[in-house]
Amino acid sequence: MYKKIKRYRGIYLMLVPVVLYFLIFSYYPLLLGVVNSLQKVKLLGGSTFVGLKNYQEVFNSAVYQRALRNTLVVGTGTFLLQFVWGLMIALLLNEVKNKLARSFIQTVTYIPYLLSWAVVGGIWITIFSPTGMINGILKLFADGPSQPVVFLSEPSYARAIMIFTGAWKGAGYFAALFLAAIVSLDESFYESAQIDGATRWQQIVRITLPQIVPTMKVVTVLSAMSLLRNFDQIFVMGNASINDRVQNLLVRIYNDGILEFNVGTATAAATMVLMITMVISFGVRKLLRYDEAYD
Amino acid sequence: MRKKKGTRNELSRKQKMIAGVLVLAVVLVMALPMWNVIVVATSDKLSASQSGVKLWWDSFSLEGFSYVFTVTKLLRPFLNSLFVTTIATVIQVVLSAFAGYVLIQKDLPFRAAITSFVMLTMMIPGDLTLISVYQLNKQLHLLNSYTGLIANGLISGFSILLMRNYFGTVPYSMAEAARLDGAGEIRIFAKIFLPVSLPGLATVFFMEYVGKWNSIMLPATLVTDQNKYTLPLMLKAMIQSDSSTSGTSIAPENAVMAAIVISTLPLLLIYIFAQKYLLEGMNLGAEKG
Repeated sequence: MYKKIKRYRGIYLMLVPVVLYFLIFSYYPLLLGVVNSLQKVKLLGGSTFVGLKNYQEVFNSAVYQRALRNTLVVGTGTFLLQFVWGLMIALLLNEVKNKLARSFIQTVTYIPYLLSWAVVGGIWITIFSPTGMINGILKLFADGPSQPVVFLSEPSYARAIMIFTGAWKGAGYFAALFLAAIVSLDESFYESAQIDGATRWQQIVRITLPQIVPTMKVVTVLSAMSLLRNFDQIFVMGNASINDRVQNLLVRIYNDGILEFNVGTATAAATMVLMITMVISFGVRKLLRYDEAYD
Repeated sequence: MRKKKGTRNELSRKQKMIAGVLVLAVVLVMALPMWNVIVVATSDKLSASQSGVKLWWDSFSLEGFSYVFTVTKLLRPFLNSLFVTTIATVIQVVLSAFAGYVLIQKDLPFRAAITSFVMLTMMIPGDLTLISVYQLNKQLHLLNSYTGLIANGLISGFSILLMRNYFGTVPYSMAEAARLDGAGEIRIFAKIFLPVSLPGLATVFFMEYVGKWNSIMLPATLVTDQNKYTLPLMLKAMIQSDSSTSGTSIAPENAVMAAIVISTLPLLLIYIFAQKYLLEGMNLGAEKG
């Protein structure tokens, strides 16, 4: 054994930076988070062990409960819209025969996925602003002078706007995944369906859709695992007047821990999100028999 | 796509029309917001700030661009982002390749343990340990530093596994034969494995480049000093003026849109020249889950 280890000395050396990195920047913060979540950090240094009190506090906090609700509503809504939107784009793209048009549409739908939320948020904040495109369109249809709507500070529109812009950014990503699955489907299915006299539409409904169910499952699992982890969008697009409706868990944790220095409750909340995320991804995998679908 | 194009294998006339309308709707919804950015970015201040549907120029002007460089001083964040992202991505590619290579050594002692060690990190996303990450960086004096921006989120378990899979396609017997011939490990790695896995390296590089370029949460946590701002932070500061609520913003709208155009350019270049690798990485990511 020792000899073997010695033989692989060079190989082990190649691993050293990565191991060090993960220990310091991945495992240590995890541990530190768990420790901190059980403590009350005092302003003048030092901390006392408080057991699960921070967890209790988070659990009973109206702000955190609201953040959880916002996360779930906006996250699920975004996923559903993005799923339908992406599937539609993929199916449509598959019908577009012209190569140039096809690659144009694919590019236009995929680019938002590449952009940061700082960019996408900037684009939509401008469009929804009082002088922006949406108000411009409304003005075209209004008779007489009308008061511009301040969409992004209107609580009743807030969630819908987040869901829509989230799906706008991600639809091209789902579409690319679906399309990759569609173009790799076996031609012979379609050929025999044609011989049997199936119309194109029947082929889409009876062959294409059922055949890409495994990809749909993958997409669902991926989304479920990141459901609670939306930050950037609300961090950029949220504001004081709509926070009640859209502020999500991670933004709340960030505000709590980084801006308000409540390390105890913030890490307790983060640890809970971490655990729930693990449970969700495990549960969804089981539910969808994801492992069977892939490999 | 399909080989046979008999009359039957097409949508009916009515269905085609519906499909056409839907395609048009999709393209409009996706493209108009981006087109609007380009038009406003290249309009003068007055027409950019007027209300209305801005899809064509009233008066073309590049003053938005000169504003962001002279008044907003966007060059600094741009160079910060470029520097931090490039260095971090290069290091990540090299270290991921090293680690991925380690993981394919068939009879390496503790290989299974090492693999679990790497894969477990994928269950600990940095965004869920953010508060501790902040404390860690404070302890290490990495707040408001380039080193901190580069070091945090430097390596991902995913990129290591991706490299492992690429190396796995190289016949392992080649490495063993070379080893018997007395070639050193680094030599075997560089001469046999790396050349075959160049597409893998490119995939990791471009995927991670995009991810790091767009990163908001980490810089927002680590950096308060404006001199160290990355582009997304600067952009956020520009748009988070109260433009959404009262309609007055610190920077004029053509400047904000110009800043958006500028921070998008590197990504567009990557998309144009390395699309293949991005899509590949994305599909692999979906498979791994």
